[in-house]
Amino acid sequence: MASQLANMATHAPFKVGMKEVYLPNFKLIFKRTKHLPANYASFIVPLWFSKLDLRDYLYHAYNVRVGPVIRSYVEQGRIRQGQVPEPTRPQYKRWHRPRGTKHMTVELERPFAWPERPTDLTPWNKEETTMASEEQQAYGEKVGPQADQLGGRDDRRVAMREQAKALLEGKEKWKPGLSRGVGMAFGR
Amino acid sequence: MHCTGAFLLRSALIPSIPRTTTATTASLPAAFLLPAFTTTTPQPTARATFSTTPSAHARKDGNRNRGVSALRHTGIGKKQKLSVSLKDLPRPVLDPQRRSKVQVDDDHGLWDFLPTARTALRTPDELHAHGRGWTVPELRHKDWDDLHRLWWVCIKERNRLATQWYEHDRIGGMDGGAGMYGEHEGAARDKEVRKTMKGVRHCLTERWYAWENARVAGMEDGEVDLYAEVERGEAAYLPRGEESVEPVSLGSEDDARTDPSRTLPPPNSASAASEARV
Repeated sequence: MASQLANMATHAPFKVGMKEVYLPNFKLIFKRTKHLPANYASFIVPLWFSKLDLRDYLYHAYNVRVGPVIRSYVEQGRIRQGQVPEPTRPQYKRWHRPRGTKHMTVELERPFAWPERPTDLTPWNKEETTMASEEQQAYGEKVGPQADQLGGRDDRRVAMREQAKALLEGKEKWKPGLSRGVGMAFGR
Repeated sequence: MHCTGAFLLRSALIPSIPRTTTATTASLPAAFLLPAFTTTTPQPTARATFSTTPSAHARKDGNRNRGVSALRHTGIGKKQKLSVSLKDLPRPVLDPQRRSKVQVDDDHGLWDFLPTARTALRTPDELHAHGRGWTVPELRHKDWDDLHRLWWVCIKERNRLATQWYEHDRIGGMDGGAGMYGEHEGAARDKEVRKTMKGVRHCLTERWYAWENARVAGMEDGEVDLYAEVERGEAAYLPRGEESVEPVSLGSEDDARTDPSRTLPPPNSASAASEARV
């Protein structure tokens, strides 16, 4: 049998099919699963993938032997609006459900544990990007439709207290607002 | 009032008045009743009961697991004897610091999904350290085995980049484009890999078309025998020789133009003048 010959050629510990695929074109994502024991691994596979495909792929491409049972589930996409990639004018009424993702969990014959996550995220500039996104969010709230719901801001309160203190102590002399340019600038 | 013989005998035995007279008086039972007292019959048992419920030990139940359920949390039954006693059960180590580390083999296949340095995530500098993809003129020199190997190197690199992208989002958060650095560098690297794969496919397609054109030409050519088995010594090219060199005359108007014996084209001024149109 041709399938037996293929088995002898690659020495796979399972029965292989007759179809030979030389130039496949898909991606496999190896997930980090801390909640699973070290002898289990989980992957995100193409939606058309089967358990037999995964077992064959892992053996022939990565020389990883897996146990007898592979578990799989499809995670349905969340309904969202907009398009990917987003056009110049975002279309907010384009409601759609993106394609789902298929996840498969295999039992490994030899255990594998992911290396630890990096604790210092300076090479990725996490600090600055987090600060930037928080500031963007705060600005968006300030100019957004719910701006009048925001309460008094701490920085303004502190600045006003300092100004009042300086005026009372005589360090600064009060001047009319117009001379300082109050009301002239366009801003919120 | 029931009139059994025992009741009458007992009532006869109980002395109703204190004994003041001698033994010969009526306090003692009569002598003719003596045989009744000497009988040795046992206490009468209930042979025929009124209830139909069977008694407790009617049948021995051989099922030691009766009433024991893990789903209903009944616990261990009274008759159950486990091979391990409760105090000998191993206890899990709840503190992650005290757990032993997993020994991962150096040659494990899944290391190919992670960066070469065996860290969890590549830095943007590591991602940026790549060259350009292979161009088609460079790939045309390579044979099928090399191209096939290169294709699979590209596939594995794409898997590595996809794993990186997923882990990156998990750590940094998908802030709608404002996450950590590294996304742009990863995308640029993936683009070069895809260019190489496109070049490989282009080369193989070119080669296939060249082969297909040659095959069709060989099928149509009378001098070539594609079904010849060269190993056995059969000739694939069978030239027909000199007789096929002469040009064939088909008797068309074009023969006058292609006849090699003629030197000048014939004058066609008369026909041109009659056919002239204003």
